[in-house]
Amino acid sequence: MIKIRKRLADTGFGVLALIVFVFSAFPVYWMINTSFLPNNRIRGENLAFFPTPDVFTLNNYRAAMFGEERAPFPPAVLNSMGVTFLTVVIALVVGFAAALALTRFDFKGRRTFILMILVVQMIPGEAMIISLFRIIDGWLLLNTIIGLTLVNIVGVLPFTVWTLRGFVNGVPKELEEAAMIDGCSRATAFWRITFPLLAPGLVATGVFAFIQAWNEFVMALVIMQRPDAMTLPLWLRTFVQATQATNWGAVMAAAVLIAIPVVIFFLIVQGRMTGGLVSGAVKG
Amino acid sequence: MSSTLLDSPAPPRQETRQRRRPSYVPWLLLSATMVILGVLTGYPLLRLVVMSFQEYERAQLMGQPAEWVGFDNYATILTDVDGFWTVLLRSFVLMVVLVVVTMVLGMLVALLMIRVGKAMRLLVSVGLLLAWAMPSLAATTVWGWVFDTQYGVVNNLLTAITGDRWFGHSWLINPWGFFLILTCIVVWGAVPFVAFTLYAGLTQIPEEVIEAAQLDGASAFQRFRLIQVPYVRGIITVLVVLSMIWDLKLFTQVFVLQDIGGDRELTNTIGVYIYQVGMAQGHYGLASAIGVIFLIVMLAISFPYVRRTLREEVQ
Amino acid sequence: MKKNRLVGAAASAITLTLALSACGNAGGAAAPEETGPGEVRVWLVGSDTPKEARDYLKQTFEEQNEGSTLVIEEQAWDGLVDKYTTALSGSDAPDVVEIGNTQAAAFTSAGYFREITADEFETLGGSDLLPGFVEAGDWEGKHYALPYYSGSRVVFYSKQVLGDTPVPTTLDEYVQTAVDLKTDDLSGVYWPGQDWYNALPFIWENGGYVAEQAEDGTWDAGFSSEGGLAGLEQIQTIMTEGNNAPADANETDLQVPFCEGKVAFLSAPSWIQWSINAPEEPEDPEGVPGCASTYGSDLEGMALPGKDGGAAQVFAGGSNIAIAQKSARPDLAMSAYEIMLSDEYQSILAGIGLFPAKTSLFEKVDQSTSIGAASAEAAANAKLTPASPKWADVESQMLLPTAFTKIASGDDVKTVAEQLDADIEEILNS
Repeated sequence: MIKIRKRLADTGFGVLALIVFVFSAFPVYWMINTSFLPNNRIRGENLAFFPTPDVFTLNNYRAAMFGEERAPFPPAVLNSMGVTFLTVVIALVVGFAAALALTRFDFKGRRTFILMILVVQMIPGEAMIISLFRIIDGWLLLNTIIGLTLVNIVGVLPFTVWTLRGFVNGVPKELEEAAMIDGCSRATAFWRITFPLLAPGLVATGVFAFIQAWNEFVMALVIMQRPDAMTLPLWLRTFVQATQATNWGAVMAAAVLIAIPVVIFFLIVQGRMTGGLVSGAVKG
Repeated sequence: MSSTLLDSPAPPRQETRQRRRPSYVPWLLLSATMVILGVLTGYPLLRLVVMSFQEYERAQLMGQPAEWVGFDNYATILTDVDGFWTVLLRSFVLMVVLVVVTMVLGMLVALLMIRVGKAMRLLVSVGLLLAWAMPSLAATTVWGWVFDTQYGVVNNLLTAITGDRWFGHSWLINPWGFFLILTCIVVWGAVPFVAFTLYAGLTQIPEEVIEAAQLDGASAFQRFRLIQVPYVRGIITVLVVLSMIWDLKLFTQVFVLQDIGGDRELTNTIGVYIYQVGMAQGHYGLASAIGVIFLIVMLAISFPYVRRTLREEVQ
Repeated sequence: MKKNRLVGAAASAITLTLALSACGNAGGAAAPEETGPGEVRVWLVGSDTPKEARDYLKQTFEEQNEGSTLVIEEQAWDGLVDKYTTALSGSDAPDVVEIGNTQAAAFTSAGYFREITADEFETLGGSDLLPGFVEAGDWEGKHYALPYYSGSRVVFYSKQVLGDTPVPTTLDEYVQTAVDLKTDDLSGVYWPGQDWYNALPFIWENGGYVAEQAEDGTWDAGFSSEGGLAGLEQIQTIMTEGNNAPADANETDLQVPFCEGKVAFLSAPSWIQWSINAPEEPEDPEGVPGCASTYGSDLEGMALPGKDGGAAQVFAGGSNIAIAQKSARPDLAMSAYEIMLSDEYQSILAGIGLFPAKTSLFEKVDQSTSIGAASAEAAANAKLTPASPKWADVESQMLLPTAFTKIASGDDVKTVAEQLDADIEEILNS
């Protein structure tokens, strides 16, 4: 009796899990499906639900990547990768230094600094667009990777400092002190002992910075206005906006192209990322 | 404002923290952050406040001197019930709905992942990971396509299922429909992170604890309420705070969805509203005033949280 | 170990920065009086300018200015005002820009464009230039943006779809025919709700107005005037009873339903004839399929009929072009500008059915077909939107598309009109 009930329950939960899977994966599936279909099986009422061999086409990808009528694809990829990479690296390095100062030292002005980090995150970014634009313009950094990187760093740095501060706090400094007793210098003790323990925290924080920088849209809209300076989100927008027919197949192909690097990145870091957040939080 | 519980509350060991160290070291470590934030946040913030007292339009952007107008911009905004106040209220209501739906669904999915077998869990994880990895702009575009008025698969399926003609049914034209789809997009993208994190937290509960409770005859709901929730309370707080920040800062999804369809006036949220007033209409003075007011509102709301955090810092 | 890795990462970050920043040309800081070879960037909006004209522009420019290059960067109509507002005020501004005629005032009034002196104006065409468009680009008696092309909407139809139904000769007949023809599979008039350009003739023909300026300078919007409401009623009748187009769609892709044979009348810019007449299987993978062998084969055009017959007053669509104030090379920009307003270049535009910037070139538009004749008729009756620098803000706020979307979904006409008027007046009078 109990066994049957358990089995029924198992089946029930299995079905639920299937539903969750379908709901979360369907839009992604539909994107991929559309990207492989010719126009006449996308539009109109005769939709194809699978890219079967008789309708399968790579034309959408060809159009997305090599279409001459819009901003070119290769620079967009390079720009996005460059901006994202630099943003993540710089934000982590700079933010980590600040987090160390805030956790491992006591000094006058520490609380003021923390207050500042908190307040800065409440400023609505859209209100700052024009001033940031003018600064970047003044430095002649419009349409450059450095220009957009700077703006992105401003966006993610306060959050990075704040999160890393939590992680560093979570590593007992007695560990370092013990190492120092064993004859290590302070710096060596830190790099040998504390730093490795912080790896999950750095990964977790880096992922946030990555998502932010990869998705950043509105500042890029203002700063990267040349076709060859566009980042991927801007590039994707050029499809939807064209005055001519929206080529949905090409749009979906473009969306796939933008999502692929993130999926790969997430597959690599996924485990550490949630692990990092949990280790930060559970200890609290 | 951020993760409360990412900062472990000062344990006793912190008393040993303050050993004599050169006082310039922390400032050295902070210098890069201070320069970056000082130049690229401090200065623009100052400009923001200054501009909010000026008539600053497109011509000023081209170098014409700006005229001081005192509190005119603030008066305009604060008396604009249909504009500013409605948008502000809408943004907060939307934020609450998004956070609640995200958290509830995230928790349910996390519990489900614990309950089902390995194969099913992998399946769910793959689905969640895909949704999570979709960049927000791409996700919004895809959802717009799924709900497309003419060729969308939803209208297609509804036609097939109900037999009625759904082609040409517009989902975005009605503000409720718009926010329904917006909620789908945001929640769909946010649940995976919440679910993964909660799942990771829930799996750290020692099995003996759960088993003991089971033996004591605790029902599933009691176990959930009395053991699982308290155990991951810290994570929940972090997630709620993070979701609140993210959902209040919502921009891309609303902006792009408005382009696909929908009535801007009835669907603006605060970020998009500031953009519309400033960038689209060229009233930078007004937009700056909205920015300042919003900042003040945010400070007021988060005041208790900020004060508590700072008090924890006293040690 | 760890340390080394970090240093390595930092080093590669710097290398990457240096390598990648080369893609983005920071440029633009050049002293304005620089001479010699340089680069000129021309921003064209949408795909209206044909490839032939683009090639001609680039080639001629580079022949005339040895060593210099001209780059055409295509912009989208959506969000154009937002983009120009920042792009043209920055150090890396484009040199020559196309701007919608109704949007020009927002920029001419704020000093975004370089003044075209009286002498230059004469050289570029003088009184031969389309007067309404010249006016749209003037500010306080000076010229800033000159006409680029104009193109009013034409009503397209195919006898294969229309069958024996007589072609309407008055606006009322047009409305009635649309309602009579409509079935689940056929739109009498295909009219996506956001397409407000097509709505203006109905307002004007019924005696309404968009907005008028009183003696004291305040603006009064007229959608809720008597004529305005009568026009809106007719619009709603067509949109809800004669039309299957989505209420919230915009006017892209118009040739698609037409080519499916699901449209009796389609009011659209004249150049859409080329989209309809494109082959079913385009050679270019990006090409959008047309229907040259079916509904494109007997494509006809007519001017939208007026209230009392004849051609209705329609919206004068089109563009102006200007030289950016912040252009780093005004000398080269002027050279490109001259080419774009030259008879040769403008004749290419005329060749695809656009109305050129110069009235003397109108004859270059092929008027032997019904479509060409119809566009000439429409152009002769074309009207502009209110001449206020704030009008661009009305457009960038999407007030009109929003209002017509509501009308298309059956909302009460009077409520929508009053709200719309209030919103427009708020902007124009702010």
